[in-house]
Amino acid sequence: MARRFLPLLSLLGALALSTGVGAHHSVAGQFDQAKRTTITGTVSKVDWINPHVYIYVDVADERGAVTTWRLESLPTAMLRKAGLTSEMIKGGGQKVTAAALMARNGTPNLAWLLNLKYEDGHEYTLAGE
Amino acid sequence: MRNTPTRASNLPMVLVGLCLASVAPLSAQQPAGAAGGVPRSADGHPDLSGTWDNGAGIDFVRPTKEGESVCIFGCAAGAPPPAAGPAPRQSSPQYRPEFAARVADLDKRQVQEDPVLRCVAPGVPRIGPPDKIVQRAGEAVFLYEDVSGSFFRIVPTDGRPHPTNNEPSFLGDAVGHWEGDTLVVETKNFNDQTWLTDNGAFHTADLRVVERVSRTADTLEWTATVHDPAVLAAPWELAKRVARPAGVEIVESPPCIDRSLEHMVDDSHHTNPR
Repeated sequence: MARRFLPLLSLLGALALSTGVGAHHSVAGQFDQAKRTTITGTVSKVDWINPHVYIYVDVADERGAVTTWRLESLPTAMLRKAGLTSEMIKGGGQKVTAAALMARNGTPNLAWLLNLKYEDGHEYTLAGE
Repeated sequence: MRNTPTRASNLPMVLVGLCLASVAPLSAQQPAGAAGGVPRSADGHPDLSGTWDNGAGIDFVRPTKEGESVCIFGCAAGAPPPAAGPAPRQSSPQYRPEFAARVADLDKRQVQEDPVLRCVAPGVPRIGPPDKIVQRAGEAVFLYEDVSGSFFRIVPTDGRPHPTNNEPSFLGDAVGHWEGDTLVVETKNFNDQTWLTDNGAFHTADLRVVERVSRTADTLEWTATVHDPAVLAAPWELAKRVARPAGVEIVESPPCIDRSLEHMVDDSHHTNPR
């Protein structure tokens, strides 16, 4: 699916004008637009809660040690209205590559989710960069 | 202001479920087309019933899909505008001079002070237009699928006065009457633990809100006027919001559990459109 990430600040600006995005938006004060990361693993859990859904991605290093990342995302209703469910996000256990913005306060393995791309090629783009 | 951390999600869901179960499926609730004019109930009043998309907050989503892929924000082509059109820019309530500094301080410290950031009910009119209305003779029920929780407001329209024995609450006590084809809803008996806007707009427990709800063949129109003379210099008139029939039914809101605020590194303002 062709896509590009719109700048985060543009997104927030547009949202401010349109009274748009998250009914509860905390991206700017919590995540660093300049610290983009990409991880690959499997989705082990989805916390389907408000104001933000949390998606947990287990990432194994070359020695098999697993680190679990917490990826914060949109409110539940936004995902639901886009037709997404927690099971769809889990992707049936297939490998997924996540693009995300790291936490500004240095909390390890916490990030704002931009995109999930699954091994079979389909992807969910949830936020602009 | 420090707010009591009352959990909005504790509100009983039974009534909401009963209301949802008592009405026709979403597809059968959609208003008549333009040729049909304004749908009316048996008593002759406009029938405001339906599930309504106001285009803001969680209704802002207009995803694009390609095969199994989905894009919500940050899409290459950009999402189409909301069906309801962009929500209007609202003015701000004007405070009496002696309260300006307090509002400014709360606004600056919104991350620390805004009740809805801690999953408290948003109050009225901040909760916005109803997401669903179930109307029958003598009453209307407003339902909300909100980030803070699932909420309902029962609006008697049979001429009864405001109740006198309810505790002050986040959404107050509503009573409605018809003025022509407009449902006028007066709500009072609020607590003082909500804000009117995202910007430190506190209010007192003497808050009184008058909403006017009407419809065309295919839109719901909602306005509100806020009265709180102890702190406001003048009543605050909100710009009209227009909602359209929703394509997706509301559901019970999952629990609201904030995990973000502990990671905030500055006082960046949160927007909380609804």
